[in-house]
Amino acid sequence: MKTRLVEALLAACLLSAGSSAWALNLAEVTALLAKNKSGEARFTEERFVSNIDGPLRAAGTLSFEAPDRFTRTTTEPRGEAMEVQGNTLVLKRGGRTRQMTVDAIPELSALIEAVRGTLTGNAVLLDKFFKTQVDGNAARWTLTLVPRDARLATQVRELKITGLQSEMRSVELWLAGGDRSVMAIEPLQPLQALPARPAK
Amino acid sequence: MSAQGVNRRLAWALLLWAAVVAACVAQILRTPFTADLSAFLPANPDAQQRVLIEQLESGLPARTLLVAIDGGTPAARAEASRALAGRLRAGGLFEQVQNGQTEGFEKVGSFLFDHRYALSPAVDAQRFTAAGLRDGMGETLSLLGTPAGAALKAIIERDPTGETARIAESLIPSSAPRSEEGVWASRDRSGVGGRALLLAIARAPGADLDAQLKAIAAVREGFAALKAEGLTLQVSGAPVFGVESRAQIEQEVEWLAKAGTLLMAALLLVAFASLPALAVSLLPVATGVLVGVAAVSLVFGGVHGMTLGFGTTLIGEAVDYAIYYLIQARAGGAALWLRTGWPTVRLGLLTSVCGFAALVFSGFPGLQQLGVFSLAGLLGAAAFTRGVMPLLMPDGARGQGLRRLLAQAAAAAVAWLPKLRVPVLILAVAAVALLLQRGQLWSAELSSLSPVRKDLLDLDASLRADLSAGDARTLAVVSGADLEATLRKAEAAAQQLDTLVDRGLIGGYDTVARWLPSQQTQAARRAALPAPDALRAALQDAAAGGPLPAARLAPFLADVEEARAAKPVTLAQLRQAGLSPLLDALLLQRKDGSWVALLPLQPAPGKAQAPDTAAVRQALALVDGAQVLEIGAELTRLYARYLSEAQTQAVLGALGVVVLVALALRSTCRVLAVCEPLALSVLLTMGTLAALNVQLGILHLVGLLLVVAVGSNYALFFDMLRHQGQTAAEVDADTLASLVLANLTTVLSFGLIAGSSIPALAAIGTVVAIGALLALLLSAAFARPRVGPPGAG
Repeated sequence: MKTRLVEALLAACLLSAGSSAWALNLAEVTALLAKNKSGEARFTEERFVSNIDGPLRAAGTLSFEAPDRFTRTTTEPRGEAMEVQGNTLVLKRGGRTRQMTVDAIPELSALIEAVRGTLTGNAVLLDKFFKTQVDGNAARWTLTLVPRDARLATQVRELKITGLQSEMRSVELWLAGGDRSVMAIEPLQPLQALPARPAK
Repeated sequence: MSAQGVNRRLAWALLLWAAVVAACVAQILRTPFTADLSAFLPANPDAQQRVLIEQLESGLPARTLLVAIDGGTPAARAEASRALAGRLRAGGLFEQVQNGQTEGFEKVGSFLFDHRYALSPAVDAQRFTAAGLRDGMGETLSLLGTPAGAALKAIIERDPTGETARIAESLIPSSAPRSEEGVWASRDRSGVGGRALLLAIARAPGADLDAQLKAIAAVREGFAALKAEGLTLQVSGAPVFGVESRAQIEQEVEWLAKAGTLLMAALLLVAFASLPALAVSLLPVATGVLVGVAAVSLVFGGVHGMTLGFGTTLIGEAVDYAIYYLIQARAGGAALWLRTGWPTVRLGLLTSVCGFAALVFSGFPGLQQLGVFSLAGLLGAAAFTRGVMPLLMPDGARGQGLRRLLAQAAAAAVAWLPKLRVPVLILAVAAVALLLQRGQLWSAELSSLSPVRKDLLDLDASLRADLSAGDARTLAVVSGADLEATLRKAEAAAQQLDTLVDRGLIGGYDTVARWLPSQQTQAARRAALPAPDALRAALQDAAAGGPLPAARLAPFLADVEEARAAKPVTLAQLRQAGLSPLLDALLLQRKDGSWVALLPLQPAPGKAQAPDTAAVRQALALVDGAQVLEIGAELTRLYARYLSEAQTQAVLGALGVVVLVALALRSTCRVLAVCEPLALSVLLTMGTLAALNVQLGILHLVGLLLVVAVGSNYALFFDMLRHQGQTAAEVDADTLASLVLANLTTVLSFGLIAGSSIPALAAIGTVVAIGALLALLLSAAFARPRVGPPGAG
């Protein structure tokens, strides 16, 4: 159970880093998102946990650089940082630095690819790890990701990502036990390399 | 001397010989024979090498098998991996079988949970003040509502400050194999299918090759029993190398001995056409081999298979003595030979002894054995030739065989060879140019000595890359007189390494102290746990107004109270919890009772290369006795040291040969005449190897030394002929034949070894076969005119 804990710990940190966007169908949403080569955003997060007086709040910044790098830096209520690059994850919390291998933990891998797949608009990657569903239109869309991996599914029920055009604006994560978190994303100025335009 | 006197002396000589043989056989019968890699490890290691050797010889790697399952689908491979691991775990030969399955880790998990206040690095007095508790709880709460939170939430009432999470966090490996379908799998490799990976750690020590062989067989049989269609199994690791090398050495030694003996016998039959002569000429060889093996056994307490393999070369040298005697004694009988022939043979023997003596001072046990074996063997063979042969066959060999033809050919060759002087000198100049132009003439790779086949090494490297863990190339090493001292040093080293991790200079490190903190550290942590009332008060304060009310945390108070009275975590306890393989990888006890802790370092993110060792050394300079060990660099350094040692020894050996020759000949002119063809032979041999793009190593060097030692016999022979120029042409021809025959045996026996698949033997064989032939040809080519065209028919 404690070893699970290690994995879960990683998965968690990870997860909270998510951000992405979608449109009419998966291909179109990914086409929108693929325009983003890099970006920075502020986030605020609220987590609703049973048996804990809540919500638990956090805030910080997100940044992303195609093809495989992103960081989530939490400033409130405590300083923490998580950096993913390629197959390496570096966690910084409480003055400590830990490095780990992403694909050694499949759940972690799936969550990271959910984030990266969304950020880079990689439909193939998303489809490999999740059952996907797209609602709405290019102006405002919702992408729902349900884990294919049984082990991840015992922890994560689904991810709901909403976006405006090529901007990811919120990520909602439902855990298997009923706890959930909602992350609102506010892009900082140069969110994307190309100006967002309505999909054709 | 009366016939009776001769007979009596023969009887005594034979009796003495029989006694020596019996003593040798008795010694050999109680000699252990080895065929492991120990011959390639240094005899007198320094502190860093010692750790390295301990690792290679008895460390966890020495009994760890790397297993790969290729082919099929990921699911099929995972299924096979689980089934195979299950079988091997049940089989009892293995201490642990790891394949990435996390089932069965609960025991370790609950052990860590139960001892969290002894093991968590966060535990100190500050941690249990109101501020410290608030901080710890804040960190735990920051994970709730994330996938990691579920596990934490389940224990939050007992562990609100997240000590278990802290321990878990510290134990996360910074590099680990990929997991696929719940088991370890290779990462994407272009053009190659996926594979499932397992690590099987045998119970038996790595040096017990029979047990390792059994373990390997168990893996193969276990896989065969699965009848997994479309899947293939590959096994690698140090035990496989050990077992394969032994089998290979045994096989080669047997083959070389048989082939060598047959070849010699055929040659001798051709030369003498006489079975008695054949039998008698093999006697010095047999005596030499027996004496040599017995001497090695006496000096080293055991004989390495490689030494026996080398024995076949001794056949080539020792049989020469018999050939010289049997042929040369025909002319004037034993008495004349003892006056004229023996001094030359003796000088040749002494020069060979000089060459082999250099090996005795080598740093490699393997080469030392070769040296002792050859010294004793040659002396034994020569003693037999000198002492017994003249009595056994007073008139030399009776048969004539094809020697007349050989002699004619040899005489013709000797007459013609001087024509080659100019071309040879031109070639020599070319060789010098080539050698100067070839910058990397000497290779400094220890692996060039290893008998392990290249494809096996490649497989091993690819499996290790796939596993990415457990094979750190850079280690921090601390040692102490007892376990506690060692653990304290490991903790001090870890403190320094943490700063490097924070600065991004290394990715991470492992240390046994995470599992087993020193008693001092554990006591300090225990002392930091406050009394119940104080803790309750601090907790009230810390939890006030937060999402986790103090009222819910009574189990936490109880657990801390229990931890204050708990016994410290011990090594035995950890072993009981099934952590032995992990402990053995990070902690070693030496034979003298002292301990060594290994802290493998992982490279910083994005840097696949070795960690920044300069920074590591600088940081660890503050820790008493801490060392940084770079395995690859260390092995190279080790080999480079031996190479330079061997170069000195070879030069000294060659000088010894020259001094001996000078002492015997007492004429600068003659000494130079003897040295000229030898120097040219060495030069041309090196040039040939360089032209063939062979990188020269220690064993090539040894081979060159032998070329000088053996080749000096030929050069001396021509020198002797020149000074006995008045000898009848007929005798000259027969003597020439004996020389050619002796050279043929040497070239053929070393040529056989050159074909060996054991690189060490092949290297020596190639050099000596080429060099000895060149030495004879050049000795003839550069012989002074006295030996002009003799009666060539």
